[in-house]
Amino acid sequence: MNANARHSQAMHFTARAADKVRNPVLQQALQKAKPLFSGKRAKAMAALPDDGLEFEALREACAGIRDRALNDLDVWLEIFEENARARGAEVLWARDGGEICDLVIDVARRHGVKKVTKSKSMLSEEAHLNDALAAAGIEPVETDLGEYIIQLAGEAPSHIIAPAVHKTLQEVEALFAEKHGRPQAARTSADIPALAKEARGVLRQHFLSADMGISGANFLIAETGTATLVTNEGNGRMVTTLPRVHVVITGIEKVVPTLQDFATLMRLLPRSATGQTISNYVSLLTGTRADDESEGPTKTVFILVDNGRADVVGSHYQDILRCIRCGACMNHCPVYFSLGGHAYGWVYPGPMGSVLTPLYTGIENALDLPHASTGCRQCSSVCPVRIPLPELMHGLRQEQQRRGLRPWGERFGLRAWAWIAGRPTLYRALTRIAARYLNWLADGEGRIRLFGFAPGWTTARDLPVAGGGKTFFEQYAASKRD
Amino acid sequence: MRIALYVTCLVDLMRPAVGFAALRLLAATGNDVVVPPAQTCCGQPAWSAGNRPLAKTLAQKAIAELENYDAVVVPSGSCAEQIRLTYPKLFADDAVWGPRARALAARTQELSEFLASLGEPLEPPGEFAGSVTYHDSCKGLRGLGIKAQPRALLGRVRGLSLKEMADCEECCGFGGAFAENYADVSARIVDRKCESVAAAGADAVVGGDLGCLLNIEGRLRRRGDETTRVLHFAEVLAGETKP
Repeated sequence: MNANARHSQAMHFTARAADKVRNPVLQQALQKAKPLFSGKRAKAMAALPDDGLEFEALREACAGIRDRALNDLDVWLEIFEENARARGAEVLWARDGGEICDLVIDVARRHGVKKVTKSKSMLSEEAHLNDALAAAGIEPVETDLGEYIIQLAGEAPSHIIAPAVHKTLQEVEALFAEKHGRPQAARTSADIPALAKEARGVLRQHFLSADMGISGANFLIAETGTATLVTNEGNGRMVTTLPRVHVVITGIEKVVPTLQDFATLMRLLPRSATGQTISNYVSLLTGTRADDESEGPTKTVFILVDNGRADVVGSHYQDILRCIRCGACMNHCPVYFSLGGHAYGWVYPGPMGSVLTPLYTGIENALDLPHASTGCRQCSSVCPVRIPLPELMHGLRQEQQRRGLRPWGERFGLRAWAWIAGRPTLYRALTRIAARYLNWLADGEGRIRLFGFAPGWTTARDLPVAGGGKTFFEQYAASKRD
Repeated sequence: MRIALYVTCLVDLMRPAVGFAALRLLAATGNDVVVPPAQTCCGQPAWSAGNRPLAKTLAQKAIAELENYDAVVVPSGSCAEQIRLTYPKLFADDAVWGPRARALAARTQELSEFLASLGEPLEPPGEFAGSVTYHDSCKGLRGLGIKAQPRALLGRVRGLSLKEMADCEECCGFGGAFAENYADVSARIVDRKCESVAAAGADAVVGGDLGCLLNIEGRLRRRGDETTRVLHFAEVLAGETKP
């Protein structure tokens, strides 16, 4: 069995979704976040022409940069490795989550590390690294505010850039009161800075006492051997510069050829993610502390991770590897905002998750995700690297069909329906009967309240019936005879 | 010009009035309008489920019966998109069916696109005393770029005023089999649409895809809204809006 699948709950999507739509606190949190995400992005994109930029041209360029990297991924990775080593960094390779954990713990042991501060890293979620560190007697402390909140709550991130977006202010207040050992207070949104300050007070002690920092990287720059970090809270800088040892964990697909490429991608990454023209902090981390420098780690380790990515290179689904993790697809997804990220069952939620989870955990282990989409195309219309997310989900649907992974009832039903639709005379006769039956069920009310052939439909809606018991073709034929 | 009306399977079974409204509007353009008699379904449900062979079989049937007209008009953005964007994809490498699919795609238009593209603007026969809010269906909007056309046409209907709702471009949660298979999620999405409709305070919500309209109407009624009308724009333009 696929190692990632052991940690995936994606096969329980329907049950989890049912739970999430009925959670009023979650729905309140999502309802609040939705217009913020889409509104900020829309405003930033509308302002692009003020800077002499144009969205379609920019995303064409960004997609092109990512394609160029992916089409010769091995070459760019080798160039990256060579340049990173030349700057004093160690470059390690991990096949899967287990190897990530082993490598990180090995580095920690070699350097006598007791405590690790972490900047947000989705790769460490893929690896369940915090559990592994704790089991090895090393204390991991998440320092991104959202990640800190969910670490206190013992939860997983529900969004790739806003990990605690599923939590309300009241929930965070209750959590902080409990974990920070203080009485609970009534809070309004005006108190958010005070809560952030409270977390900062706790985190400051950890920053100063940690022996090792772990971060992800938004991109790796091949020509310089640099890891780039795009953040807003400043915690990323603390994690990557204060401790003696800095470990960067990132996917092999994150490499881009040049600094210039990075600059171009940065035109769209913050705008797509948070509506900012640039994030508060953009760090370019290259090598270790030089002899004439007073800051920075004395040991830098890159762990470059496959965990399913190499198999996607050159496949039908390669375009998903262009992803720059801005979150715009989920921020504009009607399904995501009805459920939050946890319903998706693995590390990545929303449309990009509905493609990545089947690819990284096994198509047979995430059958719902490619179908849990209305096909609305809101995701692909905002994607800054033009990933054809609906087409990729559709490709996965086709693969499920080809491999016979769909339920028997659905396969039989489709075949029977298509067989009938291919025979107009039979089709007309059966639709005539269906129209009469629907009209009889509607019982003069113009609607059916409980419909056995589509029980899902009538759980939440009526089925409007408006033909008076006769199909269009029946009525049309009659009008021609008159 | 000989125009074929592709009625769509949903209109045939669930709301024949939309088909007759479309016929009336097309006849008003002065063209020769034909309803090809063997048409059934464009095959989108099979395609959407990921069954390419079945989708191809039904596409071949539709191509054969629709390709001999000067124009094919569809009162649904979703089915028009299937013919226009998916059929050429299905037969991209097919030397026989590829050119036929592309030729049909080039002649196929959604109803509002067709009516708005005429040199002489259509004078809608209908009247509507009240306000409407327009729901942009996803396939029409993001697939075919339909946005201005239905609004321009509705703007010419005597007595009608347009009240835009917030998030009119947001999906209603229909998604074909999605609404049945993921009923809980779909209900949550259509709830947000119903809230936008209610906030707009219009007498009717109007759209161009019957799937979305059945979804929105069904949920509005279940929520207890018995008064907001839910109409296809063809019904409004043709004046077929009797309750």
